[in-house]
Amino acid sequence: MYVGQAIRRREDDRFLLGRGSYVEDITLDDPIAHAAFVRSPHAHAAVTRVDAARAAAMPGVLAVLTGEDWTRAGNGEAEGVWPVKDMSGADARTVNRPFICVDGTVRCVGEIVAMVVAEDRHQAQDAAEAIEVDYEEKPANTLTARALDADTPLVHPAHGTNEVLVTEHGLKEETEAALAKAHHVTEVVVPTNRVTAASIEPRCYMGHHDTVNDRYTVWTTNQAPHIVRRYFTKSLNIPEHKLRVIAPDVGGGFGMKLYHYPEEALVLWGAIVSGRPVRWVGTRSECLLGDTHARDHHTVGRMGFDAEGRILGVKFETLGAFGAYESQWNASITNAYHFTMLSLAYDIPAIHTTVRAVYTNATPVDAYRGAGRPETVYQVERLIENGAHEMGIDPLELRARNLIPPEKFPYQTAIGITYDSGDPPALVEKARALANYDALRAEQAALRAEGQWMGIGICAFFDMAGAGPVKMMNDLGAKIGCYDVASVRVHPDGRITVFAGSHSHGQGHETTWSQIAADRLGCNIEHIDLVEGDTDRVPMGIGTWGSRSLSTAGMAVYTAADRVVAKSKRMAAHMLECAPEDLDLADGEFTVKGTDRKLSFAAVANASYHSGDRPPDLEIGLEETSFFDPADCTYPSAVHLCVVLVDPETCAVTLRDYWAVDDVGTVINPMVLEGQVHGGLAQGIGQALMEECAYDPESGQYLAGTFMDYAVPHAEDVPSFGLDSHFTRALGNPLGAKGAGESGTIGAPACVCNGVIDALWHLGVRQVTQPMTPKKIWRAIEDAQRAQQ
Amino acid sequence: MKPPRFRYLRAGSVDGAVQALADNPDARILAGGQSLIAMMNLRLVRPACLIDINRVPDLGYIREEGDGVAIGALARHNEVKHSELVRARCPLLTEAYESIAHHTVRNRGTLGGNLCHADPSSETPAVMIAVGATLVLQSVGGTRAVGAEDFFLGTYETAARQDEMLVEIRLPGRGADGWAFAEISNRHGDFAIAVIATTLSLENGRCAAARVVASGVGEHAARLVPAEQALVGGPVDETRLDAAAAAAAGAVDPHSDSHADAAYRRDAVAALTRRTVRRAAERCG
Ligand SMILES: Cc1cc2nc3c(=O)[nH]c(=O)nc-3n(C[C@H](O)[C@H](O)[C@H](O)COP(=O)(O)OP(=O)(O)OC[C@H]3O[C@@H](n4cnc5c(N)ncnc54)[C@H](O)[C@@H]3O)c2cc1C
Repeated sequence: MYVGQAIRRREDDRFLLGRGSYVEDITLDDPIAHAAFVRSPHAHAAVTRVDAARAAAMPGVLAVLTGEDWTRAGNGEAEGVWPVKDMSGADARTVNRPFICVDGTVRCVGEIVAMVVAEDRHQAQDAAEAIEVDYEEKPANTLTARALDADTPLVHPAHGTNEVLVTEHGLKEETEAALAKAHHVTEVVVPTNRVTAASIEPRCYMGHHDTVNDRYTVWTTNQAPHIVRRYFTKSLNIPEHKLRVIAPDVGGGFGMKLYHYPEEALVLWGAIVSGRPVRWVGTRSECLLGDTHARDHHTVGRMGFDAEGRILGVKFETLGAFGAYESQWNASITNAYHFTMLSLAYDIPAIHTTVRAVYTNATPVDAYRGAGRPETVYQVERLIENGAHEMGIDPLELRARNLIPPEKFPYQTAIGITYDSGDPPALVEKARALANYDALRAEQAALRAEGQWMGIGICAFFDMAGAGPVKMMNDLGAKIGCYDVASVRVHPDGRITVFAGSHSHGQGHETTWSQIAADRLGCNIEHIDLVEGDTDRVPMGIGTWGSRSLSTAGMAVYTAADRVVAKSKRMAAHMLECAPEDLDLADGEFTVKGTDRKLSFAAVANASYHSGDRPPDLEIGLEETSFFDPADCTYPSAVHLCVVLVDPETCAVTLRDYWAVDDVGTVINPMVLEGQVHGGLAQGIGQALMEECAYDPESGQYLAGTFMDYAVPHAEDVPSFGLDSHFTRALGNPLGAKGAGESGTIGAPACVCNGVIDALWHLGVRQVTQPMTPKKIWRAIEDAQRAQQ
Repeated sequence: MKPPRFRYLRAGSVDGAVQALADNPDARILAGGQSLIAMMNLRLVRPACLIDINRVPDLGYIREEGDGVAIGALARHNEVKHSELVRARCPLLTEAYESIAHHTVRNRGTLGGNLCHADPSSETPAVMIAVGATLVLQSVGGTRAVGAEDFFLGTYETAARQDEMLVEIRLPGRGADGWAFAEISNRHGDFAIAVIATTLSLENGRCAAARVVASGVGEHAARLVPAEQALVGGPVDETRLDAAAAAAAGAVDPHSDSHADAAYRRDAVAALTRRTVRRAAERCG
């Protein structure tokens, strides 16, 4: 068996030796031209003049293109993948992110106003600088919290409001009643900070138009090449069968590389206009500004408890950021995914939430690892933490009193979603033991007596991963079918190629998909190759996002392999003159049960293609495809625990320990799982302590345009993680596997923030917003002490 | 973005470099490139010409000079950081290097380039002022020596003229008995939110001389004279620590930015002053 083994990642040789092939590495016979962009320096402005005459005459320039050219060419608009209707039943006030400014107004810093295509990158950049653009600045607002204030400037005045849509979920009356009768009510303002994925490989695209065959090719840093193909039917009106999309090695996606970005459409358009392949390689500054941002919710929460600390009800009012426009998926994050997990790992009888999605003059927001659920966990867990302190109940004990007991599964939450399986009390007990919780509390008390500030952070949650099923996701708003697909092709020599509609950009599919296939096919893993990320080689697919690939594409590999086994057994049975049921397939050989009669898998494969002697109704060939539509989402769960130390003089936070106990169902490869959890934790810790896509609130200027200004954690900023796991089986797929990609980012922000609050509670501090930089902690302590005087 | 066009000249000697500076009034010296190239890539600076000094022979020395140390303009950060001579004669600089940049940056970046860059949040200017270092500048007209205290004039602004090259940094021998460095930054290795570098000497249990130098909280690194005055003349006890910390906080006029606001920086200066003075006094023992 390969499944369950910590097999070394087969792709790592290539990556570790610098032999990966990324979009920037691709070479072509034709010389590749380069694109550069003129971007708005203003948060909101009318574009009154664009003069490209000087730029067009500069050395090496092949084309200069503006919004007028875009419109004249008959190009189109982006389209939402996941529109959500307003609760009134009306369509949302959607304004899609433009590829290039076409209506004479720019609405966030970085919006593209013009494009230059030139022989080389420097010439393109020089010419872009020579394009003269006049702007008339308009009032702007970059703060989500202020989006609906009466005096806030409108991003899209035609709509008369900055509100995109409003949705309500849960039990309104029950929640009000629960809060009214509660013994204690905790209220906290729980905003989440605006962050971005900051993948190591910047976004990068190349477009090519083969005029002889009238075919188009796009190489893209994208997680879902088949959806890119679909996007192009709208942006450049290219029919799907004429476009090949290749997503080669991609250096980190995290949801951020799921969209049809302006530059992606523009490079192919530039190639069509200039007759040359055109490439753009994003600089770090362009990417920190133009990659979709994430989170940025402004939420007020109220939680009611009975006298024993049992949660009676919880209510939230949220403003969810869109930024200046809708990126293709964002409605699904703010108004579909976000609310589904509000019950976390707790048995909460009444939950109600109102989410108003809003426009601001800032970069569009969309999914980033966790997509809506880090906000969910943060807002619920911050209330629980404060509630525990206010009621004088140990924070872990209060949580334990509220956990969903194992016998209640499948558990229908008050928000409407049903968790298929899980055992939160078991997770908590493992975390308690792993961290030696009681000893930590004793240490905390001893340190506090010496004037040292130590805090223990906790959170417990469920995730909704593995989208589909197709119908369920359609009902939540998806216009794409959330299945995935795989083909298993057995070659005449018995070697196997697996084709999958997923895309690996760090997940390790070459290893894990092969582990699954090898087990089903009873073959050596070395005999399997995986193909992903090329729409000409893999005809359909939905791609990798939302911790979905294992429970969709991975299961398609599983079922396609089973179909291959079934067919090959018929051929083998014919050759061995027995019934298919009498055959075992293992170690590359068919054996007739109870005998020593054998036939190699390779011989059967060869005969499947080349022998006329076969069962009369058996078709030639040995290749099967499975479109897998899961029976349910998956619901991974986890408990996190951490220890933080806050320096009483400088207020700097040291994260000393971090433990995570995850229930991800069946584990395919424990090492890959650990890697996923580690990476997610680091990103979640970054969100809690240092990352922020900051704007100057007055000028709307972007302040996080380099890695000197946007801090991501270094290895030394995170502790060595202590991990454990607990197994309950997912019911929606045959392997019982749940998603594992997002648990770290979903839990870590809440856990670390709760740790800091726990460290500072005795000083009167009740909330510090993320990222909890030294200056903010210092300020919170100052304010708390002033309030106490 | 990537840099606009520039001319590239490679100097084979210090004389050649300063001649090239004289001949090209909009030229800049290229040392490790760790600040200059990043700013050119962002098109924040646009020198028409770079004079690369990396091939100038024998300019990366770190050697004894009397009871002090002389450091050539091409000595890399990491060479200075790991120099036993520097550790013995100027341990404050060695201690400060624990907070400066990252290994790969230090492999290329030079101490000289760092000082000429004069970033207001940089650690090294504070150290240079605290130990009383001297910077040697050369042009076609000759050489001159400028005290560190007079070298830093503003953000990215120094006393070096456009036609002058920094050729050597001179650290005096151990003048003060005690020293300490402390910094706050959002992440280890980042530019500082606040830095204090302190040197002091005790005589018969009383503070005889003190330098308390701040960086990251003004246009350039500077001594906090009121804090020094609060220390000199008496024992370094809790009362004087408090007084020095308060005086230090009162002596700075920090800015607010996305990393920290002014009030926090002022409080940080007080905390770091207390911390460094206490440690420096302990080290006098
Ligand atoms: C990620 C990162 C983190 C960093 N963190 C820190 C930090 O924490 N603290 C810190 O202090 N610095 C930090 N730095 C900056 C680093 O110290 C640089 O090495 C230093 O600022 C410049 O040295 P250089 O040799 O690379 O000079 P260059 O970049 O080549 O030049 C810098 C400037 O000095 C001029 N110059 C260079 N040499 C001479 C000379 N001999 N005479 C006259 N002019 C000269 C150049 O013309 C240019 O204007 C960091 C840099 C990076 C990239």
